[in-house]
Amino acid sequence: MSERLQIALPSKGRLMEQAIGIFADGGVIVQKTGNARGYRGEIVDMPDVDVIFVSASEIAAYLQSGRAHLGVTGQDLIQERMSDWNERVSILKPLGFGFADVVVAVPKCWVDVSTIADIDEIASRFRDRNARWFRVATKYINLSRAYFAKNGFADYRIVESLGATEGTPMAGTADFIVDITTTGNTLKANGLKILDDGVILKSQACLVASNEAEWSPKLRQFQNEIMQKLGV
Amino acid sequence: MSAETIREFEALEAQAQKLLAGFIAGGHEAVAPALIQPADIYLDVIGETLRARTYVFQDPNGVELCLRPDLTVPTCLLHLERAFNDGSTAKYCYNGTAFRFQPADADRAHPREFRQLGIETFGGEDREQVEAETVALIIEGLREAGLADFNLRIGDLGILQAVMDGADMPQRWRQKLMHQFWRPDAFRAELERLANRPSAAADALDPELRKRIEGAPPADVQNILADYLEAQNIEMVGSRSLNEIAESLVLILEDARAEPLAPETADLITKYIGVNARAKAAGARLKDLMREHNVNISDALDTYQRRLALLKDAGVDVAKANFSAEFARSLEYYTGFVFEIITPTLSDKSPVAGGGRYDSVLRSCGAKEAIPAAGAAIHTERLLAAVVGAKALNGEAT
Repeated sequence: MSERLQIALPSKGRLMEQAIGIFADGGVIVQKTGNARGYRGEIVDMPDVDVIFVSASEIAAYLQSGRAHLGVTGQDLIQERMSDWNERVSILKPLGFGFADVVVAVPKCWVDVSTIADIDEIASRFRDRNARWFRVATKYINLSRAYFAKNGFADYRIVESLGATEGTPMAGTADFIVDITTTGNTLKANGLKILDDGVILKSQACLVASNEAEWSPKLRQFQNEIMQKLGV
Repeated sequence: MSAETIREFEALEAQAQKLLAGFIAGGHEAVAPALIQPADIYLDVIGETLRARTYVFQDPNGVELCLRPDLTVPTCLLHLERAFNDGSTAKYCYNGTAFRFQPADADRAHPREFRQLGIETFGGEDREQVEAETVALIIEGLREAGLADFNLRIGDLGILQAVMDGADMPQRWRQKLMHQFWRPDAFRAELERLANRPSAAADALDPELRKRIEGAPPADVQNILADYLEAQNIEMVGSRSLNEIAESLVLILEDARAEPLAPETADLITKYIGVNARAKAAGARLKDLMREHNVNISDALDTYQRRLALLKDAGVDVAKANFSAEFARSLEYYTGFVFEIITPTLSDKSPVAGGGRYDSVLRSCGAKEAIPAAGAAIHTERLLAAVVGAKALNGEAT
């Protein structure tokens, strides 16, 4: 492999625009190469840098395996995808957009519940009555498990949910959820409330470096140049 | 461990044959449960925590299956599948691979694939006798395999239950504390809450709602709650019924009205959990502690002493065994006696064998009634490493 720095950016939507915008603010101009709908790009005046556009959730995988040296993605996805994220990647800078909280939310009608300890308290009675554990719908399986374990809560089952998670309690496929929220409005609309101690992670988009990628002195120099411009 | 040398493989095989022969001679029927198991059962029996370490997958029909993370549950299922299962005592032994996800920094004493060799006894009314036989048979096997230097650690959840039963508090609080015993931090927090502010959950309620249900007869709470939800425009969402939530509110208010846990009681529980001594001395210390606090657990202590005597009769050197009240804390499915065999060459966190009583597992596996069960398993790679010495553990022997 020739020595080229690979940067992974989100491939669509507001996240892509904001990532490109933040880079542009620092004078790092990202341009798509070839087809405007393509997934390749470059940085003006940095001929040895490739930009690859991938879906936000894939960026964590690229950084984990070292296919990308740098990437822009949410902390939530980094921590969810890698059990040992602290070793695999370095978070260089929170970028001030893509804010979202990963939260535990339960039906609002559970007036007797305001903390994880309260859920733990009712869990065994629920099981005796319904002959099953509480079902938690989430796409954040690892974050959820780690958070519940830390809080001494074990009487649950995870139901993997890849979309419309906040609708699952109303639909009856789950009892409560772990999901991201920005304003809390969608949760409210679905009859849910956030637990008092239910904020698992306050996430935002970050500039992240892979510790698994092959780094040469030259590539480190490119990284430093970019970081300097972005004011890291 | 991604591969092993043929020498390691053969050494493990030879060790396993020797151990199995001993267990079969001890009256245990050799069985070979399937490697691939239904994932659901593990969730129900051992919970989500072990699931995080279990290799779970879906077959083409969408059925959730797993690579067995232990052999006890598969042996329970096998027992229940047998048509002639008439409630008489059944004794099994097995040797096979179990699979558990290990964090990236796990050492060689915690491989992702390991061979478990163990025994189980289902049924058997004389619990202490079965427990003593189990320990004795395992220790005999370890000796036969060449292990000379080891320590026996024991614990007893029956004593914990007796201490709780003897301590003055509402029955509901006992259940709460027993439920949290497995999680030391949560246990301490619960004990503190009961001693200082049993009204914490009531204080977290909407004061408006609390005012309305406080003093109302329990039978009316459900209607009051329904009115409150309607007035607040709160929809009923999910599968918990109005009745379930109302019941929970009644308990929360009962807690708030109850006298806080007496400091002496909290002190007794904390002191009990701290007991860690030679098995015989521990019996005496527990007796003193209970006399000081005027709590009678003599039945549980008699059981403990009887078990020690039976262990001694079975040839186990109980004088050197260690009792720890806190010991069962990492092993959620045990319900009574527990034990572990530690060797000086491996850390305390890597016992070569362990087991105990798990009277509720067969029920969770689908048995119609509770069936007493006790068993133990040997971690065969660790045993071999301990016998061969630290050299093999570091890979130098090859």
